[in-house]
Amino acid sequence: MELQVQLLMNTLQIGSVYVLFALGLTLIFGVMKIVNFAHGTFFTAAALIVSSVMIWGVDTAGIPIWFSYLIAFVLALLVVCVIGFVVYFFGFQHVLKDLNGSFILSIGLLLLLNGTYLLLYGGVPRSIPAVVPGNVTFLGASLTIQRLLLMIVAAIITIGLYLLVHRTKLGLSLRAVAEDQEAAMLQGIPYRRVALYGFLIGATLAACAGALMATVTPVTTVIGDDFLVKAFIIIIIGGLGSVLGAILGGLLIALIESFGGYYFDPSTATLAMFVLVIVLLIVRPQGILGHAER
Amino acid sequence: MSMKKIIGITGGALIALFSAQTTFAEEILKVGVSAPMSGAAAAWGLGFEYAAEQAVEKVNSEGGIKAGGETYKLELHTYDNKYNAAEGAKTAQTMLNRENINFIVGSIGTAPVKATQALSERKGAILFNTGWGKSIKGPDYPLTFTQMNTPFEILAPFYGYVKEQHPDAKTVAMITPNDATGQELEPVAIDTWNNLDVEVISTDKYERGTTEFQSIATKIANSNADIVDFGASPPTDVGSMLKALDVLGWDGVKVVPAGTSAGTLSKMAGAAAEGTYLGASADFTGDSASDVQKELNAGAMEKLGEALNGITISSYDAVMALKKAIETADSIDPKKVAETLPTIVFESSYGPAAFGGADVYGNPQQILVPVMITQLRDGNAVEVGRIAPAELKERLK
Amino acid sequence: MLKDNLGLTLCILIALASIGFALFSGDPYYVQVVIWVFTNAVLAVTLRFVLLIGELNIATAAFFGIGAYTTAVASTIMDWTFFASLLAAPVIAGIISALFGWITLRTKGPYFLLISFAFTEIVRLFYTKTEALGGNSGMIGMFPPMALNDYFPAIAVTILAAILFGLYAAERSNLGRVFKAIQNNEDIPRSVGLNVIGLKILCFVIASATVGLAGGVHAYTNSVIAPADFTYFVAVLALAYVKIGGEGHIAGPIIGATILTLAGQFLHSFGPYENIFYGAIIIGALLLVPGGIVGLGARFKTGKFMGRAER
Repeated sequence: MELQVQLLMNTLQIGSVYVLFALGLTLIFGVMKIVNFAHGTFFTAAALIVSSVMIWGVDTAGIPIWFSYLIAFVLALLVVCVIGFVVYFFGFQHVLKDLNGSFILSIGLLLLLNGTYLLLYGGVPRSIPAVVPGNVTFLGASLTIQRLLLMIVAAIITIGLYLLVHRTKLGLSLRAVAEDQEAAMLQGIPYRRVALYGFLIGATLAACAGALMATVTPVTTVIGDDFLVKAFIIIIIGGLGSVLGAILGGLLIALIESFGGYYFDPSTATLAMFVLVIVLLIVRPQGILGHAER
Repeated sequence: MSMKKIIGITGGALIALFSAQTTFAEEILKVGVSAPMSGAAAAWGLGFEYAAEQAVEKVNSEGGIKAGGETYKLELHTYDNKYNAAEGAKTAQTMLNRENINFIVGSIGTAPVKATQALSERKGAILFNTGWGKSIKGPDYPLTFTQMNTPFEILAPFYGYVKEQHPDAKTVAMITPNDATGQELEPVAIDTWNNLDVEVISTDKYERGTTEFQSIATKIANSNADIVDFGASPPTDVGSMLKALDVLGWDGVKVVPAGTSAGTLSKMAGAAAEGTYLGASADFTGDSASDVQKELNAGAMEKLGEALNGITISSYDAVMALKKAIETADSIDPKKVAETLPTIVFESSYGPAAFGGADVYGNPQQILVPVMITQLRDGNAVEVGRIAPAELKERLK
Repeated sequence: MLKDNLGLTLCILIALASIGFALFSGDPYYVQVVIWVFTNAVLAVTLRFVLLIGELNIATAAFFGIGAYTTAVASTIMDWTFFASLLAAPVIAGIISALFGWITLRTKGPYFLLISFAFTEIVRLFYTKTEALGGNSGMIGMFPPMALNDYFPAIAVTILAAILFGLYAAERSNLGRVFKAIQNNEDIPRSVGLNVIGLKILCFVIASATVGLAGGVHAYTNSVIAPADFTYFVAVLALAYVKIGGEGHIAGPIIGATILTLAGQFLHSFGPYENIFYGAIIIGALLLVPGGIVGLGARFKTGKFMGRAER
């Protein structure tokens, strides 16, 4: 029983970040119909910024640790937004709805940005000091307070995004554009502006995930790559463009990773995820919640 | 790497290309390095290149290498093998067929090393490497030499020491990355533990690049193993796992045979890493390090921001071995040099060293340097044992 | 469009010259470079071949690997002869691709792209976990027989060049026109009674079998193969070749592969700069020269310098 609780707790810990990351990816796909292989670089950028600002803030400037983290977090989001805007303005704007073109562009960006990060930060992993030290025990399952906070923050952001998409005017535009771009434009929705907002929200979500992960895992210049591959599996499972699908898919993949890693081995669990994707696509190509044309 | 250097290298390659037919006024001996210079393993390549550069500079500033009445200056060429076989084969082609390099003073990565070996043995070039596989050496590959300790050298003394310190430990859980090194290490580790009457109760593999280690940690904590053996896991991953294990309240013996950097591990895991034994971490700052190692390490810290480790420093040792062998053989013919290498004693960064290991590999192709066992105590790497190979002691008599 | 008759003659001459160079040059490094250029050209051309039906096929990398592993197994484990082991590569790659295509080609666009990506990863993970295939260390010892050793580069170039001409012929045939029709609007070929799914599978199998053969040649060229050689990144680079050269004509990917492969030879110790270089070139080509080099040539010919080239 304690073991099951622990494994479920692990699922939530892993899943919360997966969900954030996949939400951004699925949102960008929904609005712009692009498969963004450069999404992981937003995550990596945020994690790298948090690590360097934290190390500077705590070691050099002597700023209290929680305040350093706050500065780092905000700064990371800002920088990623700027990167996102530049990338959209000079790049994706010109290949909207062009699946192959935008995919190629995102691959180019992935290479360019990853190379730049390696140049700026080198290959050495960085680890930041604990923002809130200590552990908690819950129904026999143990986790760090940091992880608990991470889960709570991730859940709040996820709920916030869900409300944004389903309860606000911007959300309505995003959904309308995702559903049928031409009909949305006939209704007077400015497609390009909505696409930009969708892209920036997606990038910011990846940045949030990266800034949160930096507190619990060593940061390297390729940290986003592992998340990218998992996130693709998640959004295929959930259905491309589906917000709820990304949430459920993220938790499902985390569940497989947690239980599969325990009862078999982690490498086998990874293989199992890929096999699941292929099987699911054969049975239901549009994903669990997707409604794409076949 | 600065832009200037890139231009230098490219320019150098072009000049070398066009001047291939003309004779050199000054005798140059090209030596090559094939290592990952980009991607996740780039840190290794950068350190490896640095150590080789320092060795080449030292050799050249001390007057070069003298053989057959000529004096040769070394010239280092570094190539990015991206840690895979296909790129390993490409860099091998470039080194051996374009640049006509006959001495590869260092190569990292089992797959690219094998790909390089397929060509270097046929071309008759000497290949120094850090490959951990047993199959890489033997009478079929007379020109291949391993420049650092491998599991066959490390595990028996290392596990033996751990067992001595913890005689009550009866069970061990193994976790290692799903890569060539992990796969080569696992069977040797299981045998070695069994010889010490320690039962291996689980073996797990994870994909390189994994960032979440919760499930592995839960599994280990629940298995109640006395010892956790992290196999070929790099320090960053071990750090993540140790942190997760600490949260779950597991507190047993932690061993990292491939643990190359105690410093990184301590930085990653903090107090959770306390007491961990490392088999390949040389403490190049402590009292037991040689002056050469201290100097190399300090230089790498300054230039690259990371300490050297057992892998990265090995390119220095290979250059030193090569110099001694060429001078003893009085020839730059790779075959003669290869025949000479097992007969000499040379000054490595660890002190006097030699090549041996014929008992294990059927051919003396393994460097003989001490196995160093370090333990993290109060956040510092402390050398707790330095076990020189019996064969080396014999040779130094 | 290029002047095809003149262009074709030129291409045949280049291919013959390459084979001759491989036979007589005696410089092993440059012979090797020629083989790499041709291998990369085949990767790019087969990727583009599936683009004819409008699908971006990341699994090009997987079938290249399947071909290489098939040849390696046939040659080192089953002791098949040189040509038999080479021939096994397209057969096995073709059979697996027929099955894979039959299941997955009902999806298209982003779904097909991502499935082919997932498939590539599965196949790679499968190699790492299969001890008979050498696990992560891969397989070694694929050497051409001693009697053929000196001729091997020429044989390799001949096979690869034949693949390129074969795919060119396929594209110019009626079949090729039907493939393009499917890309434009698959309802039209369907309305005249054509089995669209069957044709898509056929296109996919042709591309996969030929890239599988190139994989077999690759196994003998390198003598060593390992799972990490066949990541999705192989297809990404092939895509870069297609993009730089231009996808409007089969010459595009060949030109792209040639330029980038030769450039890559001089960037070998570039470290982090190499990725930046490839990234910048892909982005630059996509945004500034959308039709690639071939597109530029076509615009030059028709005198249309203004406006964006067709994609």
